[in-house]
Amino acid sequence: MRNKRLFSKFAALSAAALILAGCGSSSDTATSGVPKVEMLKELGAGEGQVNIVAWAGYVENGSTDPKVDWVSDFEGETGCKVNVKVGATSDDMVSLMKSGEYDVVSASGDASLRLIYGGDVAPVNTDLIPNYADVFAGLKDQQWNSVDGVAYGVPHGRGANLLAYRTDIVKPAPTSWGSVFDENSPYKGKITAYDSPIYLADAALYLMKTQPDLGITYPYALDQKQFDAAVALLTAQKPLIGEYWGDYLKHVASLKSGGTVLGTTWQVNINLAQSEGTKVEGIKPVEGSTGWSDTWMISSKSKNPNCAYMWMDHIASPKANAAVAEWFGEAPSNAKACDITADPNFCTTYHAADEAYWTDVYYWNTPTEACLDGRTDVQCIPYSEWVKAWSSLRNS
Amino acid sequence: MPDNGEVIISIRNLSRKFNSVTAVDDVDLDVIAGEFLTLLGPSGSGKTTVLRMIAGFEKPDSGTISLAGKDVSQLPPYERDVNTVFQDYALFPHMSVAENIEYGLRVKGVSKVERRAASEKALEQVRLSGYGDRKPNQLSGGQRQRVALARAIINRPSVLLLDEPLGALDLKLREQMQIELKELQKELGITFIFVTHDQEEALTMSDRIAIFNKGKIEQIASPQEIYERPRTSFVSEFVGKINKITVGGEEINIRPEFVTIFRTESTAVSQLKGRVKDVIFSGAVTRYLVEADRNPMIIANNAHDSIEVGDQVSISWAKDKEFLVK
Amino acid sequence: MHKHPRARLGALLFAPGLWLVVAYLGALAALLVTAFFTIDSFTGNVLYRFNLDNFHDMLTDAAYKNVFLRTLGIAVAVTVICTVIAIPMALFMAKVAHPKYRKILVALVLTPLWASYLVKIYAWRTMLEPGSGVIDWLLGPIGIHSPGFGGSAIILGLSYLWLPYMILPIYAGLDRLPNNLLDASSDLGAGNFHTFRRIVLPLIFPSIVAGSLFTFSLSLGDYITAQIIGGKLQLLGNVVYQNFSINLPFAATISFIPVSIMALYLWMVRRTGALADL
Repeated sequence: MRNKRLFSKFAALSAAALILAGCGSSSDTATSGVPKVEMLKELGAGEGQVNIVAWAGYVENGSTDPKVDWVSDFEGETGCKVNVKVGATSDDMVSLMKSGEYDVVSASGDASLRLIYGGDVAPVNTDLIPNYADVFAGLKDQQWNSVDGVAYGVPHGRGANLLAYRTDIVKPAPTSWGSVFDENSPYKGKITAYDSPIYLADAALYLMKTQPDLGITYPYALDQKQFDAAVALLTAQKPLIGEYWGDYLKHVASLKSGGTVLGTTWQVNINLAQSEGTKVEGIKPVEGSTGWSDTWMISSKSKNPNCAYMWMDHIASPKANAAVAEWFGEAPSNAKACDITADPNFCTTYHAADEAYWTDVYYWNTPTEACLDGRTDVQCIPYSEWVKAWSSLRNS
Repeated sequence: MPDNGEVIISIRNLSRKFNSVTAVDDVDLDVIAGEFLTLLGPSGSGKTTVLRMIAGFEKPDSGTISLAGKDVSQLPPYERDVNTVFQDYALFPHMSVAENIEYGLRVKGVSKVERRAASEKALEQVRLSGYGDRKPNQLSGGQRQRVALARAIINRPSVLLLDEPLGALDLKLREQMQIELKELQKELGITFIFVTHDQEEALTMSDRIAIFNKGKIEQIASPQEIYERPRTSFVSEFVGKINKITVGGEEINIRPEFVTIFRTESTAVSQLKGRVKDVIFSGAVTRYLVEADRNPMIIANNAHDSIEVGDQVSISWAKDKEFLVK
Repeated sequence: MHKHPRARLGALLFAPGLWLVVAYLGALAALLVTAFFTIDSFTGNVLYRFNLDNFHDMLTDAAYKNVFLRTLGIAVAVTVICTVIAIPMALFMAKVAHPKYRKILVALVLTPLWASYLVKIYAWRTMLEPGSGVIDWLLGPIGIHSPGFGGSAIILGLSYLWLPYMILPIYAGLDRLPNNLLDASSDLGAGNFHTFRRIVLPLIFPSIVAGSLFTFSLSLGDYITAQIIGGKLQLLGNVVYQNFSINLPFAATISFIPVSIMALYLWMVRRTGALADL
């Protein structure tokens, strides 16, 4: 699958290269502005299928757990067969969407803008999505899902990256991210971290709280000195790490076997591990957390736009939104979802409407040269440099 | 055949089975130092298996093989003072001719200078001087044969085993090699045990021949005795053509060459009379097919008279050339 | 048609020829070209501007030198281990075992290839799991412990995976080696070790090289084994995989290392006759 995709990608590139070699021009359009992409004007009949790129646990049809299913009823009602491809990281998702083979993506904040400015996703006609009206106002028209007041997607929900620990092994229970950076940790070799350049933000967040001298105010806006400090922290952390995780199933298996006892995780992984009898908990440490606020977006090259819109409306509906939020362990985006969760206190537990809770959760964002924290006297390190630094760190 | 009579290899009660087939069946054999002994027999008669057991490539199921008085039947090949020339030469393809020849000496740790001198001498002995640097695949069949020979004799084994070494050569080359081998054996004074299924080759080269049949030795004797006094009908038929005739109620055997043929008018004493059915001219010898007293006979001789098909003839032979078989 | 054998041959070879040129060489050419492009630092879109930045990054960042040396070392170690294990196994199969069992033994050597690569590596993950894995459970009492996830685990896993690719060519080489050469060597006074060193080893050397082409190149390009049992250790294949979705041109640049090494290796071994052995 991957090889096929890789090949077609190379083939397309080489074809493009040949054309470009002929006219000797450049196609550098991305940073100058948002490419003009038309939005859908009216909804037609379903095309019979929809191809989705999603985070693990966002599109469940009962195959993981028979009770966990918000896809089958959608397929029955609309006749749109749902094909899902799970992305392990935001980079994965961006890459998958660029292939043009997928209609819809559940993009986190560090992918959404890249997709918008890359011309890979289309603006969303919210009039065609009745459930959009019930989305929490605090999630609409945000920097990561809209440009100049034009919505590029439907908010899905939000959550924090948690610190997971095996309750039977890690004692006393950790309260700080410091536990994964402690050079003398008794759990050396059994600590895990998320395998993506965006994990640098976790280091930046920790430094923001523990080394105020560095002057970090937003983990996705790092100047050279701040960036170097974050890289240094992760380099020092590397000996503590047993495995970096990208594949959530392997991560859950590792928590279960005890190969991993401490480290970054998502709530859904905690839920999965607990359902298999693993004694594991996840907390938001005192420093706060990185996190995500996800958005359902539609591909600018979508071949199944009607089914795609139907899906975006379905997943934002109170019932489906409640189900996915409970399964994944995140705050739902639809206010009405809170009334029908299986656990009546769910929205309270996950702080769905509690904006104060989210003040120390820094949603994934794409770092750019223009500092996202508003500083204009320095240049910040763009995401491409984060990628290089991460690659260098992982391979050294 | 040297007449000192010292036994170099003594085989007793040697047997070997392959699965359920008995290849060698309770064989006794004494090989005399310095002789050229041929193991002759049809394929599957056990001669090659005996040779391979002497070399050590096969272990006997029972029985002993003594080499110079020492039982070697359980020793590996590399601990036996014998060397083998293989049917298809078995030259090492990745080594030059000289390296092939020097292999045995190299294994023994002989210095390079000595090895080179020895291999040059061995190449000379097999008339391949100057071929040392070639690879086996650059040589003709006859040349490879000589290399294989040189590789074996350079080690001065007390016994040289030759497993149908001339089988792959054409007739002319084979006849030439037969003579060379025989001369080489005399020159070196090494005992040769030579396996072949070609009776002419055996008769030409050997001091003694052991005739194998169905895993047993039927007869072991000098070529002349084997030819003229075969002890069994198998031996008599295997080593040449034979006339089995009944004269006066007695069955006797006589080789075609020992029978003389005359036209009836001749005055010589005759044992039988008959009529010529066919005349086959083949250069050195002319053969006559004769019907004599209801005995079909082959007679091979230079007749004194000119004899043609249909002639009435008299047939005679020296009494001492007759033989009886079991 | 039968009057035009050339035309027929041409027609027959057209489809595979097209496949070879377009899909095979074409992909390689695309790889080469892509390596000289770059990406937009924000959107990740590929910018079709010829430059050498990727090669500069690859050659100046010590991390890539490390990962290159590590991958090379692992590929060499895997090849050596496979050779050392495969030779006695193939020797037994081709020269010691009764001929009627040879086909069965070959089939047994091939059986692991019938199982999915992933299944086998996940099985190794279960076995190597420190503390709770099969190796610690079984061998722990006699003092042997799992090496854990990392370089040793990768070498172990890859050696296991590629062993059949080494055994088969060596077996084929030994099968072709006439027995009477071994007899001749023994007859000339060489013990088993000497015969092995002077006769068997030189004659099966092309087969070993043929096997090493598999074990070496497969190890050089692997990333899945490293992902599953490599712990935090990465190989060149992981760098390619990691950059593939983020920075495709850089992934193409990195993938040039194994491609170049293999080309160099093939060039070096072409004289041994190993290529005729494949």
